[in-house]
Amino acid sequence: MNRIQFNSRARASAFSVIGSAAAVALVLAGCSPSEDSIASSSSESSTVTPDSTATAASADADVVTLAAAFMATLDSEQLEALSQDYTFANASNWSNFPNDLLANGPGANSGSGRIGLQTDSLTDEQWTALENLLAAVTGSSENEGFDEIIQHLEADNYLADNGGGDAYGEGQFFIAFLGEPSDTGTWELQFGGHHLALSNTYTDGVLAGATPSFRGIEPFTTVEVDGDTVVAEQQEQEAFAALLASLSADQLSAATLSSSFNDLLLGPGEDWAFPETSEGLKGSDLTDEQKDLLLAAINTYVDDVDDASAAAILAEYESELDDTYIAFSGTTNMTEIGDYIRIDGPSVWIEFSQQGGIVLDGAHPHAVWRDKTNDYGGLTS
Amino acid sequence: MRRRILAGAAIALIGAATFVVAAPAEAHVVPSTTIELDVHESYVTATLTLPETDLATASGIDLTSAGLSDSDEAAITEYLEEHFAVTSDAGDWTVSIADIGSTETEQWGSTPFEAVTAEATITPPTGVSPRAFTLDYDAIIHQVVTADVFAILHSDWETGELESSRSLGTITVDTVTGEIPPLTVSLDSGSAWQGFIGMVTLGVSHIAEGTDHQLFLLTLLLPAPLLAISRRWTGVAPTRRAVRGIAAITIAFTIGHSVTLALGALGLPVPQAPVEALIAVSIIIAAAHAIRPIFPGREPLIAGLFGLVHGMAFSTTLSSLSLSGVQLGLSLLGFNLGIEIMQLAVVALVLPPLLVLARTRVYRPLRITAAAVTTVAAVGWLIDRVGLANPVGAWADSLGEMSPFIAAGLWVAAVVTLFRRRHHAAAAPLASMATRNEAAVSPGS
Repeated sequence: MNRIQFNSRARASAFSVIGSAAAVALVLAGCSPSEDSIASSSSESSTVTPDSTATAASADADVVTLAAAFMATLDSEQLEALSQDYTFANASNWSNFPNDLLANGPGANSGSGRIGLQTDSLTDEQWTALENLLAAVTGSSENEGFDEIIQHLEADNYLADNGGGDAYGEGQFFIAFLGEPSDTGTWELQFGGHHLALSNTYTDGVLAGATPSFRGIEPFTTVEVDGDTVVAEQQEQEAFAALLASLSADQLSAATLSSSFNDLLLGPGEDWAFPETSEGLKGSDLTDEQKDLLLAAINTYVDDVDDASAAAILAEYESELDDTYIAFSGTTNMTEIGDYIRIDGPSVWIEFSQQGGIVLDGAHPHAVWRDKTNDYGGLTS
Repeated sequence: MRRRILAGAAIALIGAATFVVAAPAEAHVVPSTTIELDVHESYVTATLTLPETDLATASGIDLTSAGLSDSDEAAITEYLEEHFAVTSDAGDWTVSIADIGSTETEQWGSTPFEAVTAEATITPPTGVSPRAFTLDYDAIIHQVVTADVFAILHSDWETGELESSRSLGTITVDTVTGEIPPLTVSLDSGSAWQGFIGMVTLGVSHIAEGTDHQLFLLTLLLPAPLLAISRRWTGVAPTRRAVRGIAAITIAFTIGHSVTLALGALGLPVPQAPVEALIAVSIIIAAAHAIRPIFPGREPLIAGLFGLVHGMAFSTTLSSLSLSGVQLGLSLLGFNLGIEIMQLAVVALVLPPLLVLARTRVYRPLRITAAAVTTVAAVGWLIDRVGLANPVGAWADSLGEMSPFIAAGLWVAAVVTLFRRRHHAAAAPLASMATRNEAAVSPGS
């Protein structure tokens, strides 16, 4: 049943080389869709030139090219499922739930579930084309980005085989193009399923937003699936634990939230609802070493995006580090049920929450990365 | 989206109380608080279900040991009263908490979890209608800020909305401000007539969905067109006599269940588990009688006696609505009327084809098969109701869905029989007469 292949990793890093200049473009553009259009207006041609903006455009044009290559493998019915309208309703229609629960559950969403093309219909050739596309839009670091997504699919296969049943597995994920992949205008690449939501918005060929990004995983403990080691989200937990471990008693006390958390505050559906007051320990009260640990923790999410874009986004978050708050609840290990940590900056919003097991025993984490200006590429309604 | 899913989950949970809802064991929903409201003439009652872990976290009450001690219950009562206020323009309403209990429950999409339950009685100032108020409730969510509270309308007699599970709204932390906005509840006004019609409808649906009640009556009626001679069903009773017998059985059953329905609704305690088990026994006895006569001629007496048992079960539906005064009187009348209407509809639907088929060869195998299937179903229920869930019981629960097809099958068979009889009569009157005579004698065993 395992159709996942790993042949795309090399390709992913190849893109990252080309894309290094895209970072410059993104910084120049301030990651905002309106300004991006300015940045790319000089680069309608996809020819690679020494000019940095043009190179950036060509790197992103590869996303469009790979999107077209994926579409070329699909039959008309699959294409119809894949192609969706670019609307806020569609963009915000992501979830951490297994699709079975979304589609067949009671309530307002009953009978619909995720939009897009379900992966259970994909042939090997189509899977490969999809992986090529996903590799181009995700990071190349070990256990992050593309590697992490593959591990998520494997984790869901593990759940399917260990008590979860048919509602789980790599066939229960969905790929959707909201709007037409193009170097002009805005479209979103949406890929998600149980515990996973990727939403990349592209405006005029440039990544205008890489959030909301949801990562959760069960099993959280290391498992082997089809010869692959699944450790996704352990780096995240370790980075948070290292950050908290570095804090002094006074800093810890400032970072401690009085509230308790059994879930994320801004999970699916909780869009543009950032708290007006930031809580916790302020970044300006951190030592340089502690700031490095904070940035490293942030990077475990930002690094999921293609390397060039990730560098640009991380640079932005780094520049805002002094005004970025750390707040937590529960134990500092971030391994127990009820453990919760939040990174709340002028732009960045990351939450990590340990919850009770569902298919398996023991804690498992949910996490969301949002951006206070660039969620959905800035689309608010 | 999460909230919508959870609201659905909470509603499905309420639904599961009345019907068997298959929930997947795998899922991903964090347990939530539900507040189910029953709106009465002058007050509101609320059934609270709170996830135990969250309650312990939020209240600081240690709930780790099994069961609840008296001091636990007192502490929970005090905690809930601190976090549960109801107001309207008329001022503060009284909220009194009682009946603290613990249970293991499941919401759609959650794994089973320990929950604490409580009953709250919410009374407006004298003379104020209980139909519009502000629910200022923040138990658990003042501390566990990611948790949700779902307010659900369970029953509203005046509008005839009974055994409902309509969402009235969600109480949750506003993530932007960190505040918990109270929930405004404003119910449409109704009338005594709407309430009465609601009860008639409830009575109809109670029988329509109560496969066990239907099965008892139908099984008892199965041999009614036949004559019992020396402990065997032999021969066909004259139609007039059969109809009289059927009427007597139906009326006796009605009288029996009306008596206990009234007594139960008026406060006679009903031991629910034994009553449910006895209903299964009543079906087994009726089925045995349909195979071989056990109490020939005394069917009305048996129907009346077991009617008393079935009535007790009916009464739990009424008493769960905690009605009083005029509403209780109208409810008794309306609910019973609904039961009668549906019962007569079932009898009217099934008996004509049975009376036709009773005069054919197929009636004996039909009667015995039906009685045997009924016996198996009732045994499944009986085992289920003494506490052992089993596949036969689950299958028996699904029989209700097949009843329209069974009724349709009987009508088709009866029409075919009548057509063939007429056809034979026209084509070969003498032969047909012979067949009919033979058929008239042969159904016995």
